[in-house]
Amino acid sequence: MSSALLLRSTLPRALAARHFARSSLLVRHASTATTGEDAKYKYVPGGPILQGTVNDPTTFPPPNPSHGSYHWAFERLLSAALVPMSAAAFVGSANPSVGAAVFDGVLGLVLVMHCHIGFDASVVDYLHPRKFPVLGQVAKWGLRGATVATLVGVYQFNTNDVGLTELIAKVWTA
Amino acid sequence: MQSLLRATRSSNFANLSHGLPKRAFSTSQRYRQATPQEKPVLMKEFKIYRWNPDEPDKKPELQSYNIDLNQTGPMILDALIKIKNEIDPTLTFRRSCREGICGSCAMNIDGQNTLACLCRIDRDGGKNTKVYPLPHMYIVKDLVPDMTQFYKQYKSIQPWLQNDNPPASGEHIQSPADRLKLDGMYECILCACCSTSCPSYWWNQDEYLGPATLMQAYRWIADSRDTAGDARKAKLQNEFSLYRCHTIFNCSRTCPKGLNPAAAIAKIKLELSSE
Repeated sequence: MSSALLLRSTLPRALAARHFARSSLLVRHASTATTGEDAKYKYVPGGPILQGTVNDPTTFPPPNPSHGSYHWAFERLLSAALVPMSAAAFVGSANPSVGAAVFDGVLGLVLVMHCHIGFDASVVDYLHPRKFPVLGQVAKWGLRGATVATLVGVYQFNTNDVGLTELIAKVWTA
Repeated sequence: MQSLLRATRSSNFANLSHGLPKRAFSTSQRYRQATPQEKPVLMKEFKIYRWNPDEPDKKPELQSYNIDLNQTGPMILDALIKIKNEIDPTLTFRRSCREGICGSCAMNIDGQNTLACLCRIDRDGGKNTKVYPLPHMYIVKDLVPDMTQFYKQYKSIQPWLQNDNPPASGEHIQSPADRLKLDGMYECILCACCSTSCPSYWWNQDEYLGPATLMQAYRWIADSRDTAGDARKAKLQNEFSLYRCHTIFNCSRTCPKGLNPAAAIAKIKLELSSE
C-alpha cells in the first residue's frame, strides 16, 4: 500500500524520481526495469509485490513502551496539565508577588514540549523516514532543532525580557 | 369388444374434457382477482466506479446506469444485482449473504463506507447515487478491493483462544459479567468499512493495524478465558501498531453493524498505560 501512496501524492512524486534507487519500496523497479522516468510505471512480469505468501501474518516492530504507552500517557499528562497551568498563570500574573518567573519557566517548558509531541505525531504520520528516506530525516531533525531553538529562545525571553505570562497579559490588554 | 371398450373410454374422456371445467394451479378466475397495482416508473441514475485490470492503460471512470426503482429491491445491492443481470454483466462486485452477516459487499456508497445489502436506495430520482470501492485499497476490479493486507494484519493479532491452563475436563467457564465484555466486539464481521474509513489507516496501512483489527485484538485481550493477554498487549507497544489512532472516530460512525471500534481502541490504550 505504501508504494501506492508514494506514487499517488504529488510531493513524493518529485522525490521518488530524485531518490529513486534509494527508496526501499522502489527497489524492485530499480533492479528490474531500466532507469528513467517511465521505469517506475513499467510492468514487471511476476515481480515480487508481496514478500512471502499472502497467508503470512504481518510483523510487529520490537516492543518498546517508551514509544508506546509511556509516550501516550506522557502526552496526555502534558495536555491535561496545561489546562490548570494556564489558569494558574492567568491568576498568578495578576499578582506579581506569587512569582511570575515560576509560571514563565514551567509554562515555557511544558508548552514547547506539548507542541513538539504534536508536530512529531504529524511527522510520523505523513513524513516517516521509512517512506521518505531523506525528507523524513530532514523533518525529524528539523523539528528537533526547532524545538531546542524555541526552548532556548523562550528561556532567554523569560530571563532577559518580560516573560511569557507578562507578554500574554500585555497583548491581552493592548 | 376391444374396440367397443376403447370407444367408451374415449367418449368418457371427451365428456370430461368438454363438460367439466379444467383445473389449473390458479383456480380463481381473472375477474375475481385484484388488478395488480401499476407502479409509476421511477428512474434513478447510479454512477459506479469501473476499472478493468485487462485494460491497464484506461483510467478508472464512473459509469452511469439508469434503472427503474419500482422494479428494483430496496437496497443498493439489489440495484447492483439488477444492473449486472439486466444491463451490464461485466460489472464486478462481491456479495454473498445479502443480509449483512458476511461482509462481502462493503463499499463506499455516497461517500460512506457501508454494506450495500444494508444500505437503502435513496428514492430521490433527481439525485444520482455514486458507488465506489472501499477507499485507499488496491483494486482488483471495479468494486472489488484487495483485502490481502487487511487479512494479514488480522492474522498477526492471533485471533484465537490461547490458554496455557485449560480446565481438566469440560469447557472453559466464564461468568456472565465476563461474557458481557465481549458484546459489541464479537459481532464484527471484518467487512473493513471502519479500517478503510480511517485516515490514519490510509496513510500508514503498512504498519498501523486499523480499527477492525485492533477491536479484534481487544476482543481477545478482554476475554477472561484467554491467558495470553500480556503478550498480546506487549506486541502493541510501539509507535505504529496501535498509537497511530488519533481518535478520529470515523470507524465508529461508519460501522454498518453499529459497533464501536474507537471505544475498544481507547480501552486498549487505557489498559496499556495503567499496567
